[in-house]
Amino acid sequence: MFVYEKRLQYPIRIKNTNPRLAKMIITQYGGPHGEIGASLRYLSQRYAMPYPELKAILTDVGTEELSHLEMVGAIVYQLTRGMTPEEIKAQGFDDYFVDHTAGVYPVAASGMPFSAQTFSVTGDPLADLHEDLGAEQKARLSYDNILRFADDPDVRDPIKFLREREVVHYQRFGEALRILTDKLDSKNFYAFNPAFDKK
Amino acid sequence: MTEERLLRKRVYAARFACWELHLFLDTHPNHKEAAKRLEEYEARAAKLTKEYEEQFGPMGELSQNTSRWAWVSDPWPWEKEGN
Repeated sequence: MFVYEKRLQYPIRIKNTNPRLAKMIITQYGGPHGEIGASLRYLSQRYAMPYPELKAILTDVGTEELSHLEMVGAIVYQLTRGMTPEEIKAQGFDDYFVDHTAGVYPVAASGMPFSAQTFSVTGDPLADLHEDLGAEQKARLSYDNILRFADDPDVRDPIKFLREREVVHYQRFGEALRILTDKLDSKNFYAFNPAFDKK
Repeated sequence: MTEERLLRKRVYAARFACWELHLFLDTHPNHKEAAKRLEEYEARAAKLTKEYEEQFGPMGELSQNTSRWAWVSDPWPWEKEGN
């Protein structure tokens, strides 16, 4: 089960409105490398994991991603507080605004709504963990790209925290992959799917 | 930064250290040193939480001395005032 804790994992206090930046950062809310996709990926992949360490890490990282989703939502929310019609137009927020006003909707920076097609659940632990390593790098580079455009220290600080978490999760998934390959038949990792085939 | 926010930040920093060690122990379940560090940080987080609550009142709805009121009242985590 899940219990909500009424706080952010890392504090966010943004003083200045910036709808243009909000529209880029929202991609980590509902885009192809975003936090909702990350959470659904790990929390859905965990059922096929054969060893307790792997079940634990996917459950915990999938849960932490939900708190990152909340952080990204808080950044978008604070960046769009009190924006004026002039700012909405001048900063290119008008096409988002017409559908969502100042609400927070899971979309990519391009405007594409969130899709489960951005991730896989293959039922094969080796394939899934390899995807997870790639996913953490894709999220990390998305935060790096956001940092190229964000010059407000109130925004850069929590974005850097989120970027750092991707690095740590990548490390943990690397260890998970090693645990898996150590326990499989070392002569041939690819001979069977430990979640499905009887060896 | 107000004294209240500073102490709150220290509580959350200690809790973050606990979470980081918890993740590490998922893939290193027999790592004695990490388990010991986790115990130390849990004790530190509990001590700081107690210190905070004595001065500033219940810390969140999970606190033992909170009220229904603390849950329903503003600010919420996504609001600047809550951070």
